[in-house]
Amino acid sequence: MARKRVHRNYRIRDTGAGLFEDLLGVTASAHGAEALADGEVVQIRAYLDSPTYRWYQRLRVVIEVAVQDGYHIYGTPIPDGYVPLSVTLDPVDGLELGEAAWPQPHRFLMEGLAEEFWVHEGNVPGSVPLMFTKDGTGDHRLRLAVRYQACSAHACLPPAHVRFELPVHEVAAVDASTKP
Amino acid sequence: MSADDYSQRGPAVGERFPDVRLPDQSGALVGLHAARRGRHALVVFYRSARW
Repeated sequence: MARKRVHRNYRIRDTGAGLFEDLLGVTASAHGAEALADGEVVQIRAYLDSPTYRWYQRLRVVIEVAVQDGYHIYGTPIPDGYVPLSVTLDPVDGLELGEAAWPQPHRFLMEGLAEEFWVHEGNVPGSVPLMFTKDGTGDHRLRLAVRYQACSAHACLPPAHVRFELPVHEVAAVDASTKP
Repeated sequence: MSADDYSQRGPAVGERFPDVRLPDQSGALVGLHAARRGRHALVVFYRSARW
């Protein structure tokens, strides 16, 4: 037994791709449509681990942030006045967005400043769980944004955000053809 | 029993998963460890197929 996970609510079901990736480290070849978006000194690639959803099925938004060489973006913990990497979702009735999981940032000391920073550089792979808790809400185009602040060793850019959309199609929770 | 206690049930992390033998969709008995042949396996339990 390498790992064990129990959902508190019996209704919650992970996607197959989410289970394989999260527990076995196997990236599924099939997933939802990809979104590509550019921000200042970053590129975003994002997709849902399933193109479809069922009521109470836990999907994951996979987000890959590529930070331009020479720059870093902030993780947490972070001093006041700086903006850490985060993901937001435009509200959808019955849709819950969980907490994003990012790799551990590394410690960074900027010359001349007494503050300690925790930053990400290079490729930053992350994921955010989301779940529809209402049945029958139909198909959606989820509108998400990655918010970040990038700095080089000498200067900081203003906080920025990159927006993108991901389509998802509702399927029935129980296949009607299996009813006795 | 609180919901938190369910994570303490069954084999613990680090223990060998029991070699369960259960019928497949055709009724043939399948042993877990024989079937996985040394590879990783995902074992998923759903409490209810519908709710």
